[in-house]
Amino acid sequence: MSFIAPARMQLLKRMQCSIFETSYNPENLRTGAKYLRKRLRGPSMMQYYPPQLNIPRLARQFPELQIDYLPESVRVEDVKNLKARGKGRPKKRKTKAEGKSMDKDKGKKKK
Amino acid sequence: MPPPQYGWINARVLRDMKRRKGVQEAEVMRRAYLLVARNQTLPAQVRHQAQLQLNGYDRYARPAEVKNRCTATGRGRGVMSEFGLCRYQFRLKALAGEINGVSRVTW
Repeated sequence: MSFIAPARMQLLKRMQCSIFETSYNPENLRTGAKYLRKRLRGPSMMQYYPPQLNIPRLARQFPELQIDYLPESVRVEDVKNLKARGKGRPKKRKTKAEGKSMDKDKGKKKK
Repeated sequence: MPPPQYGWINARVLRDMKRRKGVQEAEVMRRAYLLVARNQTLPAQVRHQAQLQLNGYDRYARPAEVKNRCTATGRGRGVMSEFGLCRYQFRLKALAGEINGVSRVTW
């Protein structure tokens, strides 16, 4: 093989790139193109599990069907009883300052 | 149209669903930040800013956190990826003839 000057070789490569519409990257720098080339995985990930049948949600969405699902009605009844005895869920704070003293206590406990 | 198949859910399956949702929501922006952060032709400061944005995502945005669990029982180990079932459910369904192209072999 005969010797070819590196400068000429470079020129050849640049021409190759212009002809075949590839990007000229003589230093082989990483351009991150592979993150664009790869397909998005989210949509197929969401399809892995079969659809779920949520009867309570169905009953809430279509009250005209009058679905009575025993486990859900028992749960609602339990929550009502707890609330009547003052054992319901605590109220959510409306402003950040409202529950600040509680946060401080939490930090102390962790230590 | 085949009737929809309903799978088993437990807390771990729910968590995995949450992860899948998070990945899907963050995916496009995360890809964009990856493109910038890994691009050596861009200035270092820009790349660093993109990397900081990437670090800001919680773990529910990371595709590596997603685990294919058994769609019938929610089991995390011994899941055959081709069928999405754990080994025992696969055996049960294959013996019952519910999986196409799978038959028992003796030799």
